Amino acid sequence: MRQAAARFFTYLVIAALALLWLVPVLSTLLVAFKTPQDFVSQKFYQLPRVFGLFTNLGNAMGQYKIQEHVLSSLLYSGAGAVIAILCASMAGYSIVRLRPRFYFALFLIIYSGTIFPFQMYLIPVYKLYNSIGLYDTRLGMILVYSAICIPFALFVYRGFYTTIPREVEEAAKLDGCGPFRMLFQIFIPNSQAPTAVVALFQATWIWNDLLFGMVLTRKESIRPVMVAVASMMGFGGTSVPMLMAVVLAISIPTIALFVVLRKYFISGMVMAKSDQ
Amino acid sequence: MRPGPRPKNHYLFLSYLFILPAFALVVVLLLVPMAQNLYYSFFKWDGISKAIFVGLRNYVAFFSDSNFIRSFVNTLVWVLVTLAFPVFGGLVIAIFLRGMRMADFFKSLFFIPLTISFVATGAIWSNMFSRDLGVLNGILGLFIKGFKLSWLTSVPLNTIAMLFAWVWQQLGTSMVLFLAGLSTIPRDPVEASIIDGANKWQTFLHVTFPMLRPVTTVVITMAMVNSFKTFDIIYVMTRGGPYRSSETLAVTMFRESFTMFNMGYGAAISVLLSILVIIVSVFYIKNMWKKDLLFY
Repeated sequence: MRQAAARFFTYLVIAALALLWLVPVLSTLLVAFKTPQDFVSQKFYQLPRVFGLFTNLGNAMGQYKIQEHVLSSLLYSGAGAVIAILCASMAGYSIVRLRPRFYFALFLIIYSGTIFPFQMYLIPVYKLYNSIGLYDTRLGMILVYSAICIPFALFVYRGFYTTIPREVEEAAKLDGCGPFRMLFQIFIPNSQAPTAVVALFQATWIWNDLLFGMVLTRKESIRPVMVAVASMMGFGGTSVPMLMAVVLAISIPTIALFVVLRKYFISGMVMAKSDQ
Repeated sequence: MRPGPRPKNHYLFLSYLFILPAFALVVVLLLVPMAQNLYYSFFKWDGISKAIFVGLRNYVAFFSDSNFIRSFVNTLVWVLVTLAFPVFGGLVIAIFLRGMRMADFFKSLFFIPLTISFVATGAIWSNMFSRDLGVLNGILGLFIKGFKLSWLTSVPLNTIAMLFAWVWQQLGTSMVLFLAGLSTIPRDPVEASIIDGANKWQTFLHVTFPMLRPVTTVVITMAMVNSFKTFDIIYVMTRGGPYRSSETLAVTMFRESFTMFNMGYGAAISVLLSILVIIVSVFYIKNMWKKDLLFY
């Protein structure tokens, strides 16, 4: 009897929380599909009379050139993650297998880049970018995002490469395989799991970033998408259905990425730990 | 596991060349700037004209700056609420969900917010809390006629509202980690303690919880570090206002540095923020050293 009561109670709590978690999702969907007229004249729970999603997105593209920001952000996410993956797998391979002098110190130096909050280097990077002409450029954004992603990526690759059996390498070595081919033909092709983890976490992080986009860019064509959304919200007159349509559109890529790469997610979370 | 002797290196040049790109990017764009930032924090500097050395005066100014003090207190509130809800709440939900029917559905539901950005979260909850056409005022208006609260512009409701959005976004993280941790706990000790006559609560307290400790450490560290750094949600929902009432340290640092161009003072705030984050992480990093996680 007591157990039944306890069970009922847990279901009740979870169901109530689930409802609380669901309301914002439903409300966002609902508002994104409404026309501005419906949004103002209807109650919050009423279904849209006219399908307004595409008009809303069209307005966002016309008024705020949101598609340009999306393209910039796609570039930053893709290029940033790829550069971080390349640099980190090269460094990880060298640290694990070639072991030059001071390899562990070098690892610690690179890894220490992840311990501090971003605020700790925001001002100097802003000054540096202004003085060498990287301020407000795509290249500058890609470089800073790559640099931030490298320590975690290195941590992941370094851990993974130690698990690749030596036998595979010895065989390749006998065939006259040098470090370059070893890395690009044996190590990198065999590290799908860590690459998936790094790509998922870093591309998502870059896509979602607001801070660096705000500090290091000014031109609309360079600014990443989150900055555009944040500034849309800054103007009092922004139509809420348009904003919600944009929120929907910019959230779908990351949700999709997580659904596709779900099986790598937990291992990544455990690895990321205090990293992100 | 300390590594064995280094193999003789036929590729000395190449082995450094492989490390160079990663090393150069991190050193030039992160580590050197950190050192410069520390240096700037001892100057009064608007970012353009010549910097004036002021020693520790930026740090001393914290104590008499009411905006800073309020921001510091707000930050502590964020950290405490984060420990109470996403962390402790995540543990409770993880335990509740185990063995529950439809657990997968609930898991996915609590998980969705985690995959979207803080900016999107802020936008969604701004709509929820909006005064005139917001959902919350709409729901409450069904029960109380003419109910209209201006959630995001009154203190301390604005911070409470933003914390709500934050918890909504963060709960999934700790839930997922605790579920992963719970699934690694072997059944035997748990069953043994039940046979010994312990009730569910005692079993949890004396068997399950101690075995969860590694995960608990990770979740607590991560949550505290993240809440110390809270920026996006506040910037999007209130811009730290009204009248700087809902700022946290990260927002104050941004405003001082890039809106008011007190860059020396901003640098000092970021140094303080870093020290707080490091203190919290030390616990965790020490753990990692002990477990040889850094050595292979």
